[in-house]
Amino acid sequence: MKDLILKAENLHFAYEGERSHSLNGLSLEIERGKKIAFMGANGSGKSTFFLCCNGILKPSEGCLYLDGEPYDYSRKGLLKLRQRVGIVFQDPDNQLFSASVYQEISFGILNLGVSREEAEREVEEVIGRLEISPFRHKPTHALSGGQKKQVSIADILVMHPDIIILDEPAAALDPRHTKMVNGIVDQLTDQGITVMMATHDVDYAMRWADQIFLFKEGKVLGSGTPEQVFADKEILRETNLEQPAVLELFNALCEKGILSPELPIPRKLGDLEKYISDIPASGRISERKGRRTE
Amino acid sequence: MITIDRLCYNSKLRYINAGEKFAFAVLALCACVISRSAVVSCFVLAVMGILSVWKGGIPFSCYLRYLSVPLIFLLLSSLAIVVNVSRTPLDLFAVSIGGFYITGSRASLVYASELMLTALSSVSCLYFLSFHTPVPDILNVLRRLHCPKLILELMLLIYRFIFVLFEAAHSIRVSQNSRLGNRNYKTSVKSFSAMASALFIRAMKKSDALYNAMEARCYNGDIRVLNENFPPRRREIVWICIFEAVLYGFVIIEKL
Repeated sequence: MKDLILKAENLHFAYEGERSHSLNGLSLEIERGKKIAFMGANGSGKSTFFLCCNGILKPSEGCLYLDGEPYDYSRKGLLKLRQRVGIVFQDPDNQLFSASVYQEISFGILNLGVSREEAEREVEEVIGRLEISPFRHKPTHALSGGQKKQVSIADILVMHPDIIILDEPAAALDPRHTKMVNGIVDQLTDQGITVMMATHDVDYAMRWADQIFLFKEGKVLGSGTPEQVFADKEILRETNLEQPAVLELFNALCEKGILSPELPIPRKLGDLEKYISDIPASGRISERKGRRTE
Repeated sequence: MITIDRLCYNSKLRYINAGEKFAFAVLALCACVISRSAVVSCFVLAVMGILSVWKGGIPFSCYLRYLSVPLIFLLLSSLAIVVNVSRTPLDLFAVSIGGFYITGSRASLVYASELMLTALSSVSCLYFLSFHTPVPDILNVLRRLHCPKLILELMLLIYRFIFVLFEAAHSIRVSQNSRLGNRNYKTSVKSFSAMASALFIRAMKKSDALYNAMEARCYNGDIRVLNENFPPRRREIVWICIFEAVLYGFVIIEKL
């Protein structure tokens, strides 16, 4: 029996004034505590689905379930829902409303109706945890893209959600900040938070995700573990995605008979490196060279 | 405006309790306006200048430049007070043109210069506040003074979005320039109007997105936030009290 935290059943949604549906009979199931990647072209319905998960948009058809209970769109129900399901939006400038980092982070938790003292404690805690202290006194408009991202994650984290949705968290970040954000994401998983992330980075999805959903035209085109999803070239072509580098290289090495196809599919470059270095010594270039000089 | 914002976040007086700074500046401002005397104004002008430059670390040239901004307006408006057109010449100067004189009186010159000093010193008080106090801190003081919540929330959002839209405008402008959008008068007028309409649309979209993001964090029509407080210090309060006492002493002496 799978421990499902979120379930979507046959969701339909169309934005006002648009004839085509952004969600077109979307169904999926998400297990508690897992790392889930959502992939698909721009406009394939990822962001719309995320807004539905948080109750900002209400699907015109179909139903969402949190912990097996259908979504309750009453005022009270939404309040509870939004505390449990948090979204970190793609563009921090659309999320940060205050010029003060401290005010910004305190907004969400105060809306939950906790006391000021407790809110203060929580805000301080999250500022420390996400290493925001060095720039906490700067105005938000003077922060770098990566710092804004840190603050926008803190915004949500302070509310202690069970599910965090990250909409392309690495968009427009340099490699160093991407790494930092990925580090924070790992922290979240360690705390048992279910992380749902939209990303275009196949290599990252391959090594990070437990499960991948491929979206196309408002529907789930394929899903499964990274190994399953990325092995299916047909689906990848339809969603305009490429195979991760590690998988492509692994397949090529298997075809040439250098590696055995029996090996479990590597998910990180490090795994593949290990396979290669485990090849019996006779096949190695350095050994051959050595023999020649003898 | 952007420079003032940058200055106040780097000011050495930034972490002083905002209430203290607010009281200090506003009381001094009131003293200037009530007394309208040159002595009080000069005193305030000097104190504000010294504090801003020496204690606050605002570059002197920068401070002078900002102070000269209202000076131009003031000079023009006091010209209107000093220079009259009449049939009879006044005591300070008179230039005859036909049957009329362009003329001015000594009293009006004194009046004009007093007015100018008062205005300038009042501006220096407000500069003191805005050079050393970030906007969120000022809003916090206003909230404590029971300013209507709606106005404060509007100010908070407007302040934040000035910078967001400013950035958007800047990038539109750069991209227009890179495509020769401002090569002559006609194209620059066209480019400017295109930018203005693009900004309006973008502002609409941004406000939608922001509202969604706030709703996603359980926003219910009330912006409640925590404010960081820098506790007031007794020494500073004593100094402020002494300064204001001296100042109002001057005011009373002048009025008697």
